[in-house]
Amino acid sequence: MTSLGQFYPVASPVHDLDPRAKILATAVLVVGLFLVDSTAGLLFVAAALAALVALSRIPARAFLRLLRPVLLIVALTATFQVLFSQEGATVFEWGFLEVHTGGLRLGFFLALRILLLVGVAGLLTATTAPVALTDGIEDLLSPLKRMRFPAHEVAMMMTIALRFIPTLGDEAEKIKGAQAARGADFSEGGPMRRARSLIPVLVPLTVGAFRRADELAEAMESRGYRGGDGRTRYRELRFRARDALALAFTVLVLLVGVLL
Amino acid sequence: MQNPGTGTRQGGSLAVSCEDLSFSYPGSGRPALSGVSFTLSKGEYVGVVGPNGGGKSTLVRLLNGLLRPDSGRVCVSGHDPATEPFEVRKHLGILFQNPDNGLVAPFVEDDVAFGLENLGVPRPQMGEKVAGAIRAVGLEGYERREPHTLSGGEKQRVALAGLLAVEPEILVLDEPTSMLDAAGRMEVLERFEALRAEKTVLHVTHHLEELMNADRILVLNGGELVADESPQRLLSDAGLLWANRLVLPVVPRLALELGLPATLGTPEDLAEAIFARAR
Amino acid sequence: MRLELKDVRHVYGAGTPFEVEALRGVSLSVEQGEVLGIVGGTGSGKSTLVQHMNLLLAPSSGKVLVDGVDARSVKKSGLRRRVGLVFQFPESALFAPTVEEDVAFAPQRLGLDEEQVRERVGESLRALGAEDLAGRSPFALSGGEKRRVAIAGVLAMGPEVLVLDEPTAGLDPATREELLALIRNLRTAGISVVLVSHDLDEVAEVADRVCALHRGRVRAVGTPAEVFYGEPAQAPATVRVVSLLRESSPGIGAPVRFDETLAALRSLG
Repeated sequence: MTSLGQFYPVASPVHDLDPRAKILATAVLVVGLFLVDSTAGLLFVAAALAALVALSRIPARAFLRLLRPVLLIVALTATFQVLFSQEGATVFEWGFLEVHTGGLRLGFFLALRILLLVGVAGLLTATTAPVALTDGIEDLLSPLKRMRFPAHEVAMMMTIALRFIPTLGDEAEKIKGAQAARGADFSEGGPMRRARSLIPVLVPLTVGAFRRADELAEAMESRGYRGGDGRTRYRELRFRARDALALAFTVLVLLVGVLL
Repeated sequence: MQNPGTGTRQGGSLAVSCEDLSFSYPGSGRPALSGVSFTLSKGEYVGVVGPNGGGKSTLVRLLNGLLRPDSGRVCVSGHDPATEPFEVRKHLGILFQNPDNGLVAPFVEDDVAFGLENLGVPRPQMGEKVAGAIRAVGLEGYERREPHTLSGGEKQRVALAGLLAVEPEILVLDEPTSMLDAAGRMEVLERFEALRAEKTVLHVTHHLEELMNADRILVLNGGELVADESPQRLLSDAGLLWANRLVLPVVPRLALELGLPATLGTPEDLAEAIFARAR
Repeated sequence: MRLELKDVRHVYGAGTPFEVEALRGVSLSVEQGEVLGIVGGTGSGKSTLVQHMNLLLAPSSGKVLVDGVDARSVKKSGLRRRVGLVFQFPESALFAPTVEEDVAFAPQRLGLDEEQVRERVGESLRALGAEDLAGRSPFALSGGEKRRVAIAGVLAMGPEVLVLDEPTAGLDPATREELLALIRNLRTAGISVVLVSHDLDEVAEVADRVCALHRGRVRAVGTPAEVFYGEPAQAPATVRVVSLLRESSPGIGAPVRFDETLAALRSLG
């Protein structure tokens, strides 16, 4: 049941880290992975990631399932590289298709990089509760408040989005069922026709979302919400020594990856 | 207006007073409320009934400053919601119809804490208040559940816990059971009954059976307060019920048809009365 | 038509840690021209069950038979036309700019010509007492009006069985009574009705037969009197009153509907 971006609630040292440390480490890795230009370097980072996954007590199979949604993109990217690169010795030819060793190497390298990017981001969301994630983001963005950046509002929007995504998902399923009962068919015809057949689902879904937004705004106001000023937080963020260590470890792994 | 104020509890200070309230939605020709006056004494449990479009939800929204009256005045625990909405919201909590659209946070305990966060309650005091509110609605063990995995009755109890956490003296229940099934309704109504002793309650509903034990029932129709009666008198007034699209529940309806009092609310009460009369 | 479910089981999320068995072997029939009430609490499987009636959900095991023929062997679109399913809170699926266009959605999917579509739309709106709403926007209607229009949108397919999942949920009591009267009319027009409801008082008034579900199994099925007097603790208010008086007045009988009950109670003197 795990899918990309879903929280996997178990107790582990990785889950326990301050969300800010994890967000920063993820950001460092995501940017840094573009500086790693050798397959050996990527493999080293991959090994470190595998160690972290083991430490997070998320079953390997569940974690690999996170990657499934991007496999198609990975396969396409890799195939393009393999087919269009003319570098290195020819491995085989078939009509106008030529596969070279350089292409294979590049395809593998790019596929690995994408999988690592997704894996790193997936580890963050799988080990960090959504509320902790938004609290962390709000906190990291708060220095920008002085530049009038609405850090609290952005975080509140994310919290609400996280709260309502499953609700709207259920609603979409229900509306699809109701229209199917009225003879709608969502699998027939070409892409245009299929897109059109979604109108009877998207219109009521949107209307419903606006109604929900209205009611939510009333409920929030009634409960005394008036923006971020003077607000306290239920969840406590504490940046401890091990959070600093985790961050330092990430930077170290990345440095080794770049140098390899 | 029929028998204004009959059944008002004497003595005790006022929790809420409304004076000659009128309100029209922009662009609407007909006022949503006109000339509505009533008071709630501290500790009273008062019902509000009436057809859709009768002014019930407008009234609720005037009480905490979500709307401001065109004329007239509201006073809640000494504060005017039109000018001090945030002060009023500390004293008066509203439980809305659809709990699905009122829960803000992705986890139960975070949602219960939302009102406390808004009030700037220091963190060390929050944990206990949240735990207390969750206990008060009987949802211990649900702290880390996600709202969308709960039943309707459970969601409404979470919403109630969120209100109770900030300890308001007054609760306004805005058709809180209309989206729930029978079990969910029972579950939520039990909680309301338990709150009676400590809160002033204004309970808006379509279901007269939920108000059998109320101190008074207000009837709003066409934006006007057309009755302010004890449940006994309202339930026995067929003309008043009919004129306001109110339907008696099965048991009181049987009782009335048999010439027994309409306040016999449960099958057990009615069976006993019939048995007693037959002997 | 006669609709029959044979030992239907349904498992959600089979093979995952979140596996839930919602139906555990349900056998049930919907007879031609009857109103069948389906009652049961949260988690009894009511909503899962009704979605099997037009194969919106396929049984994990067991069969759905239409006039004795396995429903999986007939075309799905044909089955969905013959068995109209109205979900709970059906107004959340209204989408067209006008009521007329919304109700026309289903007959248009059936490939009827314009004239026939218009006829169907008119008929079903009339059946729900909503003909004067035809030109209005469905989003600007009251709760009760929306509900009636949404039901008309399914009725416009011309179903032989109409399945209504909690059709009165969230409506005020006066609007609910009006809707129940309309449901009774449908039966008079020869349409079989499956009425799923948690409100036993309303099932007592309109059902010819009742099926009580409990945790994915049929707890009881039969006439309202058989089912409700078999378990008076989970019965409508009328039955609860009468069953309390039966010991002292054995001659009171087994009334279920309000008027029958009133007559029986009056006869006690």
